[in-house]
Amino acid sequence: MWAMIVKEFRQMRRDRRTLAMMIVMPVLLLIVFGYAASFDVTSIPVRVVGVHAAEVAGRLPAPFEVTAIASAEDRSDATRALRDGVVPVVVVADADAVTVLLDGSELFTANAARAALARAGAPQVEVLFNPDLRTSAVMVPGLAGMILLFVGTVITSLGVVRERQTGTLEQLAVMPLRPRDVFLGKIAPYFLVAALDLTVVVAAGTLLFGVPFHGSLLVLALGAVLFLFVTLGTGVLISSVSQNQGQAIQLAMMTLLPQVLLSGLIFPLRSMPLGVRWIGYLLPLTYFTQISRGVMLRGAPLTTLWQPFLYLTLLGVAVVTFAMLRFRAFLAPQGARRARRRGVLALAAGSKP
Amino acid sequence: MSEVLAGCLGVSHRYGDSTVLDAVDLQVSAGELVGLLGANGAGKTTLIRILLGLLVPSSGHVRLFGEAPSRRARGRIGYVPQGLGLYEDLTAAENLEFTRAAFGGRWAVQPAALTVPPDVLAGRLPLGLQRRLAFAAAFAHSPGLYVLDEPTSGVDALARTHLWDVIRGVADSGAGVLVTTHSMEEAEECDRLVMLTAGRLVAEGTAADIIGDSEVVTVACADWPRALAVLENAGLRAALVGRSLRVPGGDLVRVRAALAGTGAIAGLARATLEERFVELTTG
Repeated sequence: MWAMIVKEFRQMRRDRRTLAMMIVMPVLLLIVFGYAASFDVTSIPVRVVGVHAAEVAGRLPAPFEVTAIASAEDRSDATRALRDGVVPVVVVADADAVTVLLDGSELFTANAARAALARAGAPQVEVLFNPDLRTSAVMVPGLAGMILLFVGTVITSLGVVRERQTGTLEQLAVMPLRPRDVFLGKIAPYFLVAALDLTVVVAAGTLLFGVPFHGSLLVLALGAVLFLFVTLGTGVLISSVSQNQGQAIQLAMMTLLPQVLLSGLIFPLRSMPLGVRWIGYLLPLTYFTQISRGVMLRGAPLTTLWQPFLYLTLLGVAVVTFAMLRFRAFLAPQGARRARRRGVLALAAGSKP
Repeated sequence: MSEVLAGCLGVSHRYGDSTVLDAVDLQVSAGELVGLLGANGAGKTTLIRILLGLLVPSSGHVRLFGEAPSRRARGRIGYVPQGLGLYEDLTAAENLEFTRAAFGGRWAVQPAALTVPPDVLAGRLPLGLQRRLAFAAAFAHSPGLYVLDEPTSGVDALARTHLWDVIRGVADSGAGVLVTTHSMEEAEECDRLVMLTAGRLVAEGTAADIIGDSEVVTVACADWPRALAVLENAGLRAALVGRSLRVPGGDLVRVRAALAGTGAIAGLARATLEERFVELTTG
């Protein structure tokens, strides 16, 4: 047994990735669960509109934090502000009544707001977009993102690294195929499978779980395409630095876990301390979750979702470009052009061969 | 004079401080079967990767079909890598279909020796048939140059004969072939040999050119283990062939002196290619 233990430690010491994972993962989980994993919403941004807005704003208790007072706006402006995700709570202080509108797509914030309003004895509370505050309505759009993430990152990285392991990637490099053809040909099937998965999840969510779909299918599809480019690019990137499928899975898990925990999919971003929240803002799932919940639950149009679309586009361009360069470096080595040029010069100078 | 299909001139390659290829020249002409020989780590695979354009040399020049290695030039190459490069979860027919599509749909008539069961997954074929399939994939588009990295490794003698028959056939029909092998019997099938040792070119020419006048000392004796021990104690390396020993280098005087009193009889014989190879690669 002792010989076995010594052997295992020697192998462990040389497998630096596994060693790093064993050290990084507990630290990551400690940070996430220590700081980020909280359902408690301690601060709720609120917009107050209507003729008595200023007066009502002054009386709002904690955890509400008034971000704007707009006396000239009415209920329709308030509804639009919620739909566009400007704030999760709007107080409409009309001449005859005070109504608090909550964004039901922000489940934990809406729950916290409703509890605080009940304690304060608020007269009238209306929950929009997810009136029953059902968890499934919030989770299904997020789940769609998780599935795209899984197919895009894990399955793609395994598919590419398998080519490397079996030596077929080298065979592809020798074939007269352009690197971009190989790259796109490699990711296209995963793209289609992921798109099919998305369709099934959204259809099942709406038909079986009664999740509303208020927005445009086209906007959701566009968001999914952008998100898929990021995840597929990440998958190819992972495969380009992995020698075998085990390493690819390890790396994929290291990119998946933070996304699931820090993207706002499970724990609300609003509950996280700023030091952890910024990590969430670097993760593509954060933006796809905003898009899918916005489109499905609030019916948000493209114009109000421009920020997550912009960030996804930037992430997509960065990740896919980097992945393409890594992929190209293998299929058509860097410096090949320089070598070709050198060859031409040598030829011009009469060198052999 | 035949067209030069592939050539390296003064090619060197370094990984950090380690030089894996040192000013190597290599040329493969149309209709020529060139054997690239070298012990493990001699730099054969690195040289092939450079020739194919998969690796950029630290210095030197490489030409494939008269130009620097490019996608277009690689389209005229048939390559069988050491690992075969087959999709094990595709059938033999699907593997060939993919290769055909990748090379632009050209399709050559396959020699009968390369026939494989079309509907069996490549991963389930025995190694001999997998090699045959890898050959068939490389031959599928009638390339002008074949690069075969240990193409018959692990194949039984009969199947090896058939594969070499195909290799000889394509060279005779005008294609160039560059083949690496550890088998000196196979190497003798080549028109010309190039030997690498520690990244340097140490010999080039036909098998007869390389052997030249090289001789070995043959040792006949009743007790070869004892004779072997005596030779090793004297710092002489010997190989057992049948029940006699052969000492490369041809130093008859030294061998006789070492074996004095053992009853062994030492004489000279012409070295084989393998013995010359050992002599060259071990200094």
